[in-house]
Amino acid sequence: MKQLIRLELRKIFSKRLTQLDLAMVLLLSAFLAFSTYQNKYASDGAGNEGTGRTAVEIDKAVAARYSGILTDEKVQQMISEIVPKSGENGLNAIYIYRNTIQSAVSARFSDIYGNWNGLRVSDVFGNETIKIGYVDGWLSTSQNLVKILTIFSFFIIMMIAPVFCGEYSGVDNIILSTRYGRTKCAMAKVIAGVLAALITSIVVLAVNLLMAFAFYGSEGLDCSILFAQLTYIEGSIPFNITCGTLLAYQAILAVTGALGVTGITLIFSAACKNQMIAFVVSAAVYGLPLFFPAAETSALFRLAVLLPAYHAQFVSLMSVGQMSGIFLYAVWAVPAALTFIVAGSIFSRKVFAKHQVS
Amino acid sequence: MELSAVDLTKRYGSKTAVNRLNATLTNGVYGLLGANGAGKTTFMRLLCTVQRPTSGKIVLDGKSIWKLGERYRDVLGYLPQHFGYYPDFTALDFLLYVAALKGLDNRKAKKVSSELLEEVGLSGESRCKIKTFSGGMKQRLGIAQAMLNDPYILILDEPTAGLDPKERVRFRNLISAFSKDRIVILSTHIVSDIEFIAERIMMMKAGEIIHFGRPHEITSRISGCVWECSVPTSRAEQYTVSLNISNLRNEENGRTVLRVIADQPPVAGAVKVQPNLEDLFLYYFKEEEQ
Ligand SMILES: Nc1ncnc2c1ncn2[C@@H]1O[C@H](COP(=O)(O)OP(=O)(O)O)[C@@H](O)[C@H]1O
Ligand SMILES: [Mg+2]
Repeated sequence: MKQLIRLELRKIFSKRLTQLDLAMVLLLSAFLAFSTYQNKYASDGAGNEGTGRTAVEIDKAVAARYSGILTDEKVQQMISEIVPKSGENGLNAIYIYRNTIQSAVSARFSDIYGNWNGLRVSDVFGNETIKIGYVDGWLSTSQNLVKILTIFSFFIIMMIAPVFCGEYSGVDNIILSTRYGRTKCAMAKVIAGVLAALITSIVVLAVNLLMAFAFYGSEGLDCSILFAQLTYIEGSIPFNITCGTLLAYQAILAVTGALGVTGITLIFSAACKNQMIAFVVSAAVYGLPLFFPAAETSALFRLAVLLPAYHAQFVSLMSVGQMSGIFLYAVWAVPAALTFIVAGSIFSRKVFAKHQVS
Repeated sequence: MELSAVDLTKRYGSKTAVNRLNATLTNGVYGLLGANGAGKTTFMRLLCTVQRPTSGKIVLDGKSIWKLGERYRDVLGYLPQHFGYYPDFTALDFLLYVAALKGLDNRKAKKVSSELLEEVGLSGESRCKIKTFSGGMKQRLGIAQAMLNDPYILILDEPTAGLDPKERVRFRNLISAFSKDRIVILSTHIVSDIEFIAERIMMMKAGEIIHFGRPHEITSRISGCVWECSVPTSRAEQYTVSLNISNLRNEENGRTVLRVIADQPPVAGAVKVQPNLEDLFLYYFKEEEQ
């Protein structure tokens, strides 16, 4: 069995298309990470400004001045020290962007003229303890990951689609006449498919996180995601978790998403006559749920977000209510993914065992 | 052991590819001879459990091969007429893969694979990717994979397709040496492929076996129907249109000797000769080609 799995894996990874696609996903990751980094802008309001590395350094320096638990005193301090007061070019002060901390505090605690809006920390965040600091690097990494993981899931479909139906173009003649062709062979294919999905998602995650680490360092991993700059507020996750937790969830959801889409693709790989059809049908079944609108509060939505496509999308799934205890609803993604894998495994093996050459 | 087909039938829609076929095979080399479309490949696929019959059954020593399942396939080797391959696998990878499917353990798989690569003349190319192989090389690799598990029942569908004359000889010797105490079935539409190695011929036409026997037995069915006659070379062309000619030999004196298959003497002075397999084949399949 080990040998079979090994050779099935080799079959998957020796395909030029697989290699090329994986290289593309990694290149895209590098491109996104690099361009995001290069396009960072910050000024400290005291004459220092810049992009890229300089911007990150300025952001970190500003954040360092206020890092720790967010208090009303800190809010006042920030309002008076870094929030711009007058509108430049007719722009209201609140829309002026200088750096991430300024943006975060302006968005929540200042009026349109740059004065305190009268809200206290407890008015905005209830009785949550908000640890603030430099979170921008990791948050933008998380945003990029959503894009990359979405594309990556189509890479997985492409990689897994030929696992069964790749044989239907002739090798099935040989396979099905061998002792284990209708049994262990299919099991080895399922296991190899799952391993391939796991291995590639770990590689993609590792490359992305390592790049982020190289660009931004480990700063901010223990800070809350809630005190983030304006651009992250829309579509963000309304729970007081740290950047580290956020990324951990995202990594888990990347893996569960990969497993879920593998399960779906295995089904159509066994059931379709050729790889192209298997790819298109799997991609449609995987991707279409994203286009069906469902009210976020409905029970249907809570189920729908457990579909693999939402694991990569991740923000919707992460935003569904908090469960009691320390876990978010998103942990249901794990049993959901296992369900897809088990279904894919059972169905594809059944179909392959019954397959007849043509 | 005894492998039997009982009222074996396979239909594709309204097309009947194998029609109520009955045959019993014991140890020996069998040549399955028939024109294209006769149903050879379909029969072999049914024998190899890669397709299920529409009706009828195949039994090994009285037990249905579908019921025997893994136990049957364990003693089976099959070279399909057309088979895919993995372009980025090397020849050795491919054999190791099939060996694993056949349940050979790693060490045995490596040993047998390299022996077989040697025997089919691919040992020098064992680490080359299959996509770089010629048709004949792929065919030889296919023959090697069929034999990996030292099968008791070896089924080869058009095994000599794509082989050059030297490779054909090597193949024939390989099969002769291998076939002792086994059931080997070779299909072909080329008579000379099996004339010398097949102990029994199954002649197949329109999904049925119309002749089954030793080569000289089944050729005797048409004894009296093969003639040789000498005609002027200038008129030989004309005869090829009107007569069923199995061979044609030009002589130096401006005449040509024709070997003709016909129920009556084709020309005055024609003499009866001993029929061979090729004649038999032409006798039965001539009308189909026209
Ligand atoms: N998968 C298939 N679907 C429909 N018809 C088929 C199929 N395979 C074979 N046939 C038909 O069955 C007949 C027998 O084919 P085959 O077994 O391949 O003959 P042979 O191997 O002797 O050339 C042919 O008429 C062929 O067209
Ligand atoms: Mg054929």
